[in-house]
Amino acid sequence: MRQYFRYFKWLYIVLAAIAVLAVVLHAGHWGLAKTLNYQRKNTECVTDERVFDGADVLTDKEEEKLRRLIAKRERQTGCDIVLVTLNEPLEAYAREIEPGVRSEEFVRVYAEQRWENDGFGYDRPDGDGVILVDNWSRADDGSIHTWLCTTGRARDAYYEEDIDHLLDNVYRYVEKNPYRAYKTYVNDFYHDMLGWKVFHMYVPGYVPWLIGIIAAVIFCVVNWRSKEGKKTTTATTYVAGREPVFRVSQDRFLRKMVTRRKIQTSSGSGGGGRSHGGGGGHHGGGGHSR
Amino acid sequence: MIFKCRNCGGNTVYSPEKGRMYCSHCESTDSEEKIGDSSLVQCVNCGAPIQITQYTSACRCEHCGNYLIFNERVEHVFEPKLILPFRIGKEGAAAAMEKEFSRRLFAPADFLSAKSLEKMEGIYVPFWLYDYGADYDFAGEGTRVRTWCSGDTEYTETSYFEVVRRMDVDFDRIPVDASIAMDDSVMDLMEPYDYRALADFAPQYMSGFFGEVYNQKAEELDGRAQAKARQASEELLQRSLTGYTTVRPYRKNLHLTRESFCYALMPVWQYVYRYKDKSYLYHVNGQTGKVIGVTPVSRGKVLAYGASVFAAVTALCYMAVHVLEIL
Repeated sequence: MRQYFRYFKWLYIVLAAIAVLAVVLHAGHWGLAKTLNYQRKNTECVTDERVFDGADVLTDKEEEKLRRLIAKRERQTGCDIVLVTLNEPLEAYAREIEPGVRSEEFVRVYAEQRWENDGFGYDRPDGDGVILVDNWSRADDGSIHTWLCTTGRARDAYYEEDIDHLLDNVYRYVEKNPYRAYKTYVNDFYHDMLGWKVFHMYVPGYVPWLIGIIAAVIFCVVNWRSKEGKKTTTATTYVAGREPVFRVSQDRFLRKMVTRRKIQTSSGSGGGGRSHGGGGGHHGGGGHSR
Repeated sequence: MIFKCRNCGGNTVYSPEKGRMYCSHCESTDSEEKIGDSSLVQCVNCGAPIQITQYTSACRCEHCGNYLIFNERVEHVFEPKLILPFRIGKEGAAAAMEKEFSRRLFAPADFLSAKSLEKMEGIYVPFWLYDYGADYDFAGEGTRVRTWCSGDTEYTETSYFEVVRRMDVDFDRIPVDASIAMDDSVMDLMEPYDYRALADFAPQYMSGFFGEVYNQKAEELDGRAQAKARQASEELLQRSLTGYTTVRPYRKNLHLTRESFCYALMPVWQYVYRYKDKSYLYHVNGQTGKVIGVTPVSRGKVLAYGASVFAAVTALCYMAVHVLEIL
């Protein structure tokens, strides 16, 4: 037992140090959140509603809980937080506004229009805030499109990877428990807005487990190899004077040859299934499909 | 022969810690007196029959416990020229083993307990020490490659050199064990010995230990010494060929000349541990304390340590990710 604790002493010290750091950061985060209470300045917004459940995937009780949560998070973040669920094809609507828009961005056009038309924005119309539009209507290819649109401070704070991370978290639950998914959207947005945003980095949940397994396997294999012993002689162990004597040591230059090769540069790159960036210029955002 | 104490008549033995003859009965030092010519079948001290192998040169009488040295196996053709006296005693060897095994994480905690110790002997192992002269004549073509880019063009410059080396190496006392019972690879791993402590042979050094005469003649083991000299010469040559990207040899002649050889005895502690019905053999260099041997693995320890590493690293990663996400 003593050997065990002696061996892992430093590992546990590092672990404790990081745990303390995490607790301190959490406490700081929580303390900061307690002091925040933004006053809404936008008086031109046409509605006080934040939850528009057109797809009817939430119960009345769930809608009410989301409204309360959003109200609290809006005061803490100083951003309008809007949720829209739909169950309707948006092609005709989107094409009328942006004729050349791609099918996966119909929902973006809707989100941007909805945001502007309703005058959302915490500080002013079209000001700080975020809107999530989840269209449950299946497109021709059978997919469901979702768009997260950010404006003002939310746009400045949100990088591509932040949007991906948030939408990934929403998609984790949305099919089985839409309420949980949309609650995650509101809470993730709050956490992201309050974070210091030094690192825009998200690690998939399985990665720490994978690293743990790999580390344990390497540790066991390295220590399991019970070698007989190490060779401790070298080439000079039995050499008189520890050095050989070179009667001749000659390196004579013969010739030189230079070849040249044109460097091929690749043109263009493959596209992914996700799209980012807004069409409206001052909107940020990104979408996912499921 | 046997060494007896002039003061009390007890068996005097060579003490590695004191570096001199010692009588454990009256605690006197250098009080030894050589007694008799021992026979190969009977203890010179108590007359009890003894059973030894054809190579045994020293052993302990199982009846009276005295250490015997057989004259005819340490004299004339069997007389070693040199001996490296034990510098580490029983306790020192045990301490060296404990230190080594504490580094072997998965060895069972109770493995080195006294109850599992089956046998413990200090043995003088016969070695041939060879002196070789090596003459290495090497010639080849070396290349140095440099690559750089300018605009959208990559340039590769290859310079060719004629590389010639003529190297003389004097090898002193390359050791090769001359005991069939000892595993060659284990004896090779026991090296190196510090030859500065080599002494002219005297039978006193053998009192208190077991010993063997050489089992094979120097000519029979010459090949092993040559192989060691060849390998070392090759390594030394390669060291002199640095700075080249490739070296293609077109002349490579290594000529080895045996200059001399001598017969010597080297000190080795041999331990046998019995653990879970299996024997584990360990060798400890009697001069340097280097330990050679494979330890058993405790599955419980593997599980406990492996699980701890897994849990700690996973938690560490989670916390690090969490901290980064907060930041």
